[in-house]
Amino acid sequence: MIADVDEPISTGTTLVAAHFKDGIVIAADSRTSSGSYVANRVADKLTKITDSIYCCRSGSAADTQCIADAVAYHLAFYEMQTGKPATVEAAANVFRNICYKYRDDMVAGIICAGYDDERGGGIYSIPPGGCLVEEKRVISAGSGSVFISGFLDALFKNNMSKEECVDLCLKAVSLAIHKDTSSGGVCRMAVITKDGVERKLFLNNELVQYEG
Amino acid sequence: MMSHEPEPSPTTCGAPLLQRGFDPYRDNAGTLVGIAGEDFAVIGSDLRLSLGFSIFSRDQSKLFKLTDRAVLGSSGCWADCVSLNKFLEIRLKTYGFEHNQPMSTKAIAQCCSTMLYSRRFFPYFAWNILAGIDEDGKGAIYSYDPVGNFERVPYQAAGNSGPQVLPFLDSIVGKKNQSNPDKAPITKERAINLIKDIFISAAERDITVGDGTHIIVITKDGLEEIRLDLRKD
Amino acid sequence: MSLCPDLPRPGFSFDNCKRNAALESRGYKSKGFVKTGTTIVGVCYKDGVVLGADSRATGGNIVADKFCDKLHKMSNKIFCAGAGTASDCDKVTEMIRGQIALLELNSGRDVRVASVVRIIKQYLYRYQGHIGCALIIGGYDATGCHLHSIAPHGSSMELPYLTMGSGSLAATAVLESRWKPDLDLEATKKLVRDATAAGILNDLGSGSSVNMVVLTKKGNETFYPYDIVCAKGVRSGLYDFPSGTTKVLRTKVIPYEIEKVEVRGASEEDEPMDI
Repeated sequence: MIADVDEPISTGTTLVAAHFKDGIVIAADSRTSSGSYVANRVADKLTKITDSIYCCRSGSAADTQCIADAVAYHLAFYEMQTGKPATVEAAANVFRNICYKYRDDMVAGIICAGYDDERGGGIYSIPPGGCLVEEKRVISAGSGSVFISGFLDALFKNNMSKEECVDLCLKAVSLAIHKDTSSGGVCRMAVITKDGVERKLFLNNELVQYEG
Repeated sequence: MMSHEPEPSPTTCGAPLLQRGFDPYRDNAGTLVGIAGEDFAVIGSDLRLSLGFSIFSRDQSKLFKLTDRAVLGSSGCWADCVSLNKFLEIRLKTYGFEHNQPMSTKAIAQCCSTMLYSRRFFPYFAWNILAGIDEDGKGAIYSYDPVGNFERVPYQAAGNSGPQVLPFLDSIVGKKNQSNPDKAPITKERAINLIKDIFISAAERDITVGDGTHIIVITKDGLEEIRLDLRKD
Repeated sequence: MSLCPDLPRPGFSFDNCKRNAALESRGYKSKGFVKTGTTIVGVCYKDGVVLGADSRATGGNIVADKFCDKLHKMSNKIFCAGAGTASDCDKVTEMIRGQIALLELNSGRDVRVASVVRIIKQYLYRYQGHIGCALIIGGYDATGCHLHSIAPHGSSMELPYLTMGSGSLAATAVLESRWKPDLDLEATKKLVRDATAAGILNDLGSGSSVNMVVLTKKGNETFYPYDIVCAKGVRSGLYDFPSGTTKVLRTKVIPYEIEKVEVRGASEEDEPMDI
């Protein structure tokens, strides 16, 4: 067959998560591919877990959707039992438990990020293998991350404004879309603060254009 | 005691060993049907060139006009078919210059076999049927395997739909397993219509047959060509 | 005999897997499954969803069925188009349809598209891609019209227009160039027809005719077929044999012996049916 429509669908992805003074920003491209075939060019890889916790998915689409569903179920149950919403750290640990338990059978790289009243904005990375790393500044993940991790480290500042942070994430995702064949489409974003979640969408022609 | 467990596949440092192979053959499909009569031979091919589930061409005849008394049908790996026929053309030209007359159908049949066998251990992936008029003016069909085994037969089907079509020819043309059948030799019109119907039917059940068929009738007066549309799905 | 016989284990039987692996290692080629090398298409429009499918089922190079039905009814307003291994698509949709019917009876409401998608994707995920069915699910429910696709490994997505199967590349080309938001019904049907026809004509795994279903808040309207893209060829010859072609070698007649003729009428003694 010429095109790989029969390959398992995966999100060879670019994910970015960054702290700013009021919370966190997460951003992702929107390409899901099956081999060389783009199965979805406007996918939403930022998946809601609770009202103020999101996860960014990379790896196998089936695996990460299943994990996200399972964690969302877990945390909803937790909230019902305890009467208060789960913290980002608790959510990240549920992710880590699942990712570690099934590390041999799954391909999943997840960033769990959100806002809780106890510790403010939180970003946790669960790379393939199932370890858990808390990130205090900025992190990128997925196949596009190799092109932008240095860029993010160089330009990230503590206590940025929301606009500065959104701008940085957009620039990073634009760069990765530009260079990484497995990333593409539009840039989706979510700004999570104590006031809730604000979703943003940057169409392909609204990305930052770079030469080269 | 014999173990019936399958042997474990060889590994390097735990990772399964990957065998990278040289795989020059592609099956571009194609179906050929030839019927010989008293003083004529008919050969037909479909017009679809494909690979896997993709169509490369909807108008690619697999018949090669060698002389005005012989036509070769080739299907299989299209690159091999074209290559084989190029070399065959050169041999026929050289023969023409050396002998000052075109090669007879019988000689072409032997020549094809020799050329196929010359590649015994890296064969042309090509199924061939040669149709023509022999020295006595009788219709002739020669059937080949990819390494040059050949045989003169009254009718033959080859290529992708060959296995489906041949039993039909056995019954209708060969009149096999019938008590007191009408053994009158097949007429030209009947042979042409039979080949048309065969391709119409093959297009119904074989996904690689379709788009059209190209039929060449060989008589002592030369070649007559017929084209017919088939379903395009 | 034991008092409590073992019930057969539910689910798939894997008993033959080891045997088949052993046979294959000794050079035996296993038979291929019937695949619906397929084109399936789904498009949302302003009042509902239109699903389309070709009607060819293949086994290798052979057309196994020229008029197969790839549109499966899940509920009154939800249909599911299947591509991949034919039996997997049939069985999965049949099974889920049962679950959905129970769900509707238990809750007294029409089931939602999202619920159908969730049930199917969790089922497919459990079998890790071994159940080879790729589905497009479309329908109308309390929250409006929805169109989802599910890949064999259990990932899903929701989009305004979708295609799957081996003809999806040809169909995508048509949809990407002609789809617009809020098309009317006729334009959508034409678009679905053309996208499916592109698959039928350009993909060897798809063929014959376009089947279609329109799902709106009023229910479903099916078109079997909506359009016959490639009709059957017409043969000129007749291929029958004169009687006597098959030689009679031996004849032996064994007559029935009728021992007794009895005609039973319906009488009062017969057990009446309870209502």
